Amino acid sequence: MTIKDIAKKVFLIEIFKGMALTLRMMFTHAVTRQYPEERREPFPGFRGLHALVRNPDGKARCVGCGLCAAICPSQCINIYTSESKDHKKVVDRYEIEVLRCVYCAFCVEACPFGAVVLTPHFEYSDYSRDALYMDKEKLLSNWDKFMTGKRAEEYFERFWRPKLEDFTTPENQPVFRGKEG
Amino acid sequence: MIETVFFTGSSNWMLNIVFIIIKIAVVIGVTMLHVMYATYFERKVIGHMQVRLGPMRVGPHGVLQPLADMLKLFFKEDIIPANADKPVFKIAPIIPVFATLSSLAVIPFFEGFVIANINIGLLYIFAMSSLSAYGVVMAGWASNSKYSFLGGLRSSAQVISYEVAMGLSLVGVMILSGSLNLSEIVNAQQGYWYGMFLIPQFVAYFVFLVAMFAETNRTPFDLPEAESELVAGYFVEYSGMRFALYYAAEYIGMIIMSSIAVICFWGGWTLPPMLTDAIPALKAVPGIVWFLGKVYFHIFLYYWVRATVPRYRYDKLMALGWKVLIPLALANIVVTSIVKYVI
Ligand code: SF4
Ligand code: SF4
Repeated sequence: MTIKDIAKKVFLIEIFKGMALTLRMMFTHAVTRQYPEERREPFPGFRGLHALVRNPDGKARCVGCGLCAAICPSQCINIYTSESKDHKKVVDRYEIEVLRCVYCAFCVEACPFGAVVLTPHFEYSDYSRDALYMDKEKLLSNWDKFMTGKRAEEYFERFWRPKLEDFTTPENQPVFRGKEG
Repeated sequence: MIETVFFTGSSNWMLNIVFIIIKIAVVIGVTMLHVMYATYFERKVIGHMQVRLGPMRVGPHGVLQPLADMLKLFFKEDIIPANADKPVFKIAPIIPVFATLSSLAVIPFFEGFVIANINIGLLYIFAMSSLSAYGVVMAGWASNSKYSFLGGLRSSAQVISYEVAMGLSLVGVMILSGSLNLSEIVNAQQGYWYGMFLIPQFVAYFVFLVAMFAETNRTPFDLPEAESELVAGYFVEYSGMRFALYYAAEYIGMIIMSSIAVICFWGGWTLPPMLTDAIPALKAVPGIVWFLGKVYFHIFLYYWVRATVPRYRYDKLMALGWKVLIPLALANIVVTSIVKYVI
């Protein structure tokens, strides 16, 4: 141990340094957000309450293929389907028990139609389980309530792209692109 | 006339008793208020040191938080574990509160204001502060839980080792002032131009500060209640009012220890004669202002250290007590005696 080390130990240099830091910090601005008064927009990609996408004709976009229910790790999606007179599949009930959901968004990824989404809405605590058992109506109204304006547009761009557009590797990705034409 | 009787007593013992009871009520009331707001300021200060806000909800800037806490604790269910040793479990929380509150009796808050001006004030305070450790040990034993038990064991070991260092650190002060009476210790400091034993006794002050943290079970020596390993230590099983009593005792203990530090090293309610000679206007300020200011500084120190220093390991705590603080305090006694003898 050098003399410097000994001096450091005897005069508690490190502790005093730490105390100077905490004292300095006491006079800085706190970073706390006082939540109910001070709110912040969730970041893009935030995974909140579910919504079922409503087609422009007002009906649910979901076709009842059941992929979302199959992949859901917490098995909280229930889909009941039946066959209509003209032999089409009809989704009778589509229910998500959001209390069991872990917000992994696997259902969103699995859906081939982009028919289920996670909205950025997260303030939906309630006193009863019933209120948090989302049936089809509630899920559709979530879409109306929380996916309006810019968000709906974004969603449209990402999933409802016009059928004739090409799907290619992005331009800025350095990949082998094969022969032109 | 009333004033002189109030402070120095009269030949009428009835009147004396009435005045003493009034004094006790005032001191306990003021102390309890301080305890309540010590918890509030602790949370505020530590919050701001950690770049948070601390309590903000109850009242403006959370100033009514202590009241809310008190109400909550008061109405909480008092749970006694089935296998607890019930009488001991019930008595244990009363001991520390009782012991710390009785230490208040000998503390001179300002010139002439002390409930019991006894000649062994310092010894009495040591006795009371060791007595309050019994509450901890008994709680640890009676709860019949391993966490409480470990907390109680640690507390007893810690108090025994740090009591020694603390007592020895104050011997220097006793040598210089030639008295164990707290008021006389303060007056003795006025005999020096610097007016504080802090200056000749800085080693003792350091030892006392460290021992003070250990004695009141505060971070970095809060091993008896180490949350991360013992959940809450000796009072794991306590709830409601009984828990509140432990909490109150801890804060009263902090106030007592800060007062002792102020009285023995910072000149109590007085200012250094050098200062008062230079600025005579300072003499007009009542002594309680200086006393409280110095006490608040020490309480702030408690918070400040808690926000900065992590908890010591148990063997390090013991090593620090026995291998550093006690030799330091002993060396301080030797040097002080020699210097006192020579001068
Ligand atoms: S987010 Fe995950 S857990 Fe929740 S419903 Fe979708 S797949 Fe299930
Ligand atoms: S994967 Fe999509 S379309 Fe299929 S059932 Fe789920 S939400 Fe409906």
